[in-house]
Amino acid sequence: MNTNSNIYTVIYTTVIVVIVAAVLAFVSQSLKGNQQANEKADTISQMLTAAQFGTKADFQKMGNKAVLARYAEEIAEAFTVSPDGSRTGDIALDEVFSPSLLKRQNYNIKGGQNATGAPELPVFIFKNGKKVVPVYGAGLWGPVWGYIAFNEDNSIAGAYFDHESETAGLGAKIKDDPAFQAEFIGEKPSLGESKVFEIVKGGSPKDTENKEVIDNKIDAITGATMTSKGLEAAINTWLGAYSAYLLSATPKVEEEVPAEVNEEAVEGEETTKTVEE
Amino acid sequence: MNAKLKETLLNPIFKNNPITVLVLGICSSLAVTVTMKGALVMALSVIVVTGVSSLILSLLRNTIPSRVRIIVQLVVVAMMVILVDQVLKSFEATYAIDKQLSVYIGLIITNCIVMGRIEAFALGNKPWPSFLDGVANGAGYGMILLIVAFFRELLGSGTLFGFDILNRFGYVPNNLVILPPFALILLGCIVWVQRSIQKDLQEK
Amino acid sequence: MEYLSLFVKSIFVDNMIFAYFLGMCSFLAVSKNVKTAAGLGLAVIFVLLVTLPINWLLNTYVLAPDALIEGVDLSFLSFIIFIAVIAAIVQIVEMVVEKFSPSLYSSLGIFLPLIAVNCAILGGSLFMQQRDFMNFAEPVVYALGSGIGWFLAIVSLAAIREKMAYSNVPPALKGLGITFITVGLMGMAFMTFMGISL
Repeated sequence: MNTNSNIYTVIYTTVIVVIVAAVLAFVSQSLKGNQQANEKADTISQMLTAAQFGTKADFQKMGNKAVLARYAEEIAEAFTVSPDGSRTGDIALDEVFSPSLLKRQNYNIKGGQNATGAPELPVFIFKNGKKVVPVYGAGLWGPVWGYIAFNEDNSIAGAYFDHESETAGLGAKIKDDPAFQAEFIGEKPSLGESKVFEIVKGGSPKDTENKEVIDNKIDAITGATMTSKGLEAAINTWLGAYSAYLLSATPKVEEEVPAEVNEEAVEGEETTKTVEE
Repeated sequence: MNAKLKETLLNPIFKNNPITVLVLGICSSLAVTVTMKGALVMALSVIVVTGVSSLILSLLRNTIPSRVRIIVQLVVVAMMVILVDQVLKSFEATYAIDKQLSVYIGLIITNCIVMGRIEAFALGNKPWPSFLDGVANGAGYGMILLIVAFFRELLGSGTLFGFDILNRFGYVPNNLVILPPFALILLGCIVWVQRSIQKDLQEK
Repeated sequence: MEYLSLFVKSIFVDNMIFAYFLGMCSFLAVSKNVKTAAGLGLAVIFVLLVTLPINWLLNTYVLAPDALIEGVDLSFLSFIIFIAVIAAIVQIVEMVVEKFSPSLYSSLGIFLPLIAVNCAILGGSLFMQQRDFMNFAEPVVYALGSGIGWFLAIVSLAAIREKMAYSNVPPALKGLGITFITVGLMGMAFMTFMGISL
């Protein structure tokens, strides 16, 4: 048989392409459920980690089912809010916001040509009163996102971040380094102001008694200036959009923000021009 | 197993290692050698892809029209890579690693080892030896990957497979080791060692 | 301004070779002299410039979820579509080069068809997909920048290797070994660009 004739070549290529496409379509369809379940469990375990119900490694060991069960146990309500603080819709308790949905909302917050409508920002409230909200933005190589949990007085209860392709060992520390995430705990973002939160070199000074100063700053990651800046921008954009809601949802309590400490720490900012990664 | 098959299997791992001797497949590999885990999954994926696509193309070798040879090869390899990617994504245990490897799994398609071995071996040999050749080349590649990853994770993070090894002794991880250029320098050193032992490989 | 930033970033900061190791095989094999290296570098720029926008169009209007038909997600086919487009374009480039510049064709030899499996080309498309560019101009600028970055890298390595022929390298390190190390050192030099913000 002449394998070089035109007709043979065309038929052969067509057959191969059809077979390959069929195999792939079949496999992709049959594995889709699993993949989505994995993504969902991953997202949920990130929220649970942010709300300090355990560490990400624990949840990874538990397996998808246990993670979902734990979430169902802890979640109280979930809904979306608009940047002016009003509630716009409900989220079913077994639904989460995947990173791709976050990306869409990120465009909506920023406005411009990519926006598809008014922002609908998800809020997840757990039974112990903690509110978990997502943040999303661009790191050095690709998107970074994460979840920040708030106590009822709007101090941060915990945080967890993820990324698509930051440098392993440097920028990837936002995800891999529990110490970095732990720095967020207890800090108090300046909701409603133009600079809600800062990630800067020397951003987490100790006071005279060697106790963590409560302010809206944490320490940047050494050698990962761009990732730190990207994360800071993401947090500012998103918490800025959440400010109205978070402030209105908070019962008024006596504020005791040490204002003078804030200014001191700002001076450290000039020294952050470190070579990135 | 006869001697020739054995040679097919063992040669690519040491004497004819695809990375250090044939200079193939460096592209997608070095970025995944920051951690042992990533390197291991990448190595296994490449072994599966090279083995199975060599097998398929060796079975098809007498029917492929020569004009569209490259395209047919690419389609088969791409299919295998997509399958591996989809499978990794769908298991709980490997989902996180697949996420970490991101585009580099897709780049196995253009890993020159796969195409190189298909062109050089699978299209001219029977299916079984082709399969072994593919597996062996994947393994030779994987071995280098693991060696590089061993040093990079140990010195760069002080851990191996995520377990703390050096940090408990007060080791301060060296960020330089994690940066891409160091992988190349390390690879240069591996070549240096190998060629000091196997003098016949030295270039004049 | 945004485009200028993307352009400079893709040449220096996100350099295909030094930041991602993409296109290493042909990079190492064809960098023995500057002339051939420049030829291959130009071919890579050209192929990137043609394939990346085409793949962007396909990705945005066919493969992305809900792009073609509401509710259909074809993104699992993206690898195969990208590589098919690349292979076809490379075939065309090969025929054109063979016709108009036989000398370039003979010196590039086997590496012209190998552009199809040059990771830099497919990598460009995959990064394009990951970064989801918004309009048609961005992938074009990105392709041009990455191509030029690759070109710069291979030409400068070739220049260094030409000079290295006169230096006294340990026999076991000659050729491949010292080339790896050289590329590593060049990569470190390129890392200094990462601190710039545009």
